[in-house]
Amino acid sequence: MDLLKTMAISASGMDAQGKRMRVISENLANKDSIGRTPNDDPYRRKTISFKNVLDREDNVTKVKVGRIGVDRSEFELKFNPSHPAANADGYVKVPNVNALVEIMDMKETQRSYQANLGVIEASKKMIMRTLSILQQ
Amino acid sequence: MDLNNIPLFAALTERMKWLTQRQKVLSENVANANTPNYRPRDLKPLEFKEMIEGPEEKAVHVNRTNLHHIRVAEISPYEAQRSGNGNALTPTGNGVQIEEEMMKVAETQIQYELTTSLYKKNLGMLKMALGRR
Repeated sequence: MDLLKTMAISASGMDAQGKRMRVISENLANKDSIGRTPNDDPYRRKTISFKNVLDREDNVTKVKVGRIGVDRSEFELKFNPSHPAANADGYVKVPNVNALVEIMDMKETQRSYQANLGVIEASKKMIMRTLSILQQ
Repeated sequence: MDLNNIPLFAALTERMKWLTQRQKVLSENVANANTPNYRPRDLKPLEFKEMIEGPEEKAVHVNRTNLHHIRVAEISPYEAQRSGNGNALTPTGNGVQIEEEMMKVAETQIQYELTTSLYKKNLGMLKMALGRR
């Protein structure tokens, strides 16, 4: 039945958004993960990308997580000479995570998740409506 | 007796098929709201003529010469085409506007309810004519 496939598409979208949320929470949780020695790199921000894949079994295109990559941008430097990871000039490398960007991404994720949920709700009502033809 | 021999039922069935197909396309759009380079799609409006006579481009069927052959899923005759204006793209090249898609989903749902209600009412009228009520 086509409406059930519709729900499967929305569910694949929700699944992808859920994985995106996981990456965002990883980034936020590791916002202050700094190395122990001056040579150690701090936590590097992770990125996630989606792609559209044809599901051969259902003949519908679903959303899959394309690639979980890393953000190659420069680490920020913070002046903190007392830290064990400080370099000769007294600077410590801190992760390239921007909390503001992550929170914005989180809001977008939440919004997309809700939209998919709304479509599932609508599809469900349509199925129930079809079934109601039988009850007379 | 085939209900689809009655033009009204045939038209309503065709309308329901179109709405189901549209809901599928719209759900793909919403699911891909954050996929890079994805452009939203939509069906072209159902013409009254198509509703009565069935879609212009008939669906292609695969001949089944043996019972043991795998049945190929029917391909819907209603084809999706790109929708929306190409100007409103996000920096990743995505053209989906969630608000617009949700509005279309609600519209599809309301039209589906209308169609099924009409179907039920007409069934009721047939039953009435048969003297069951």
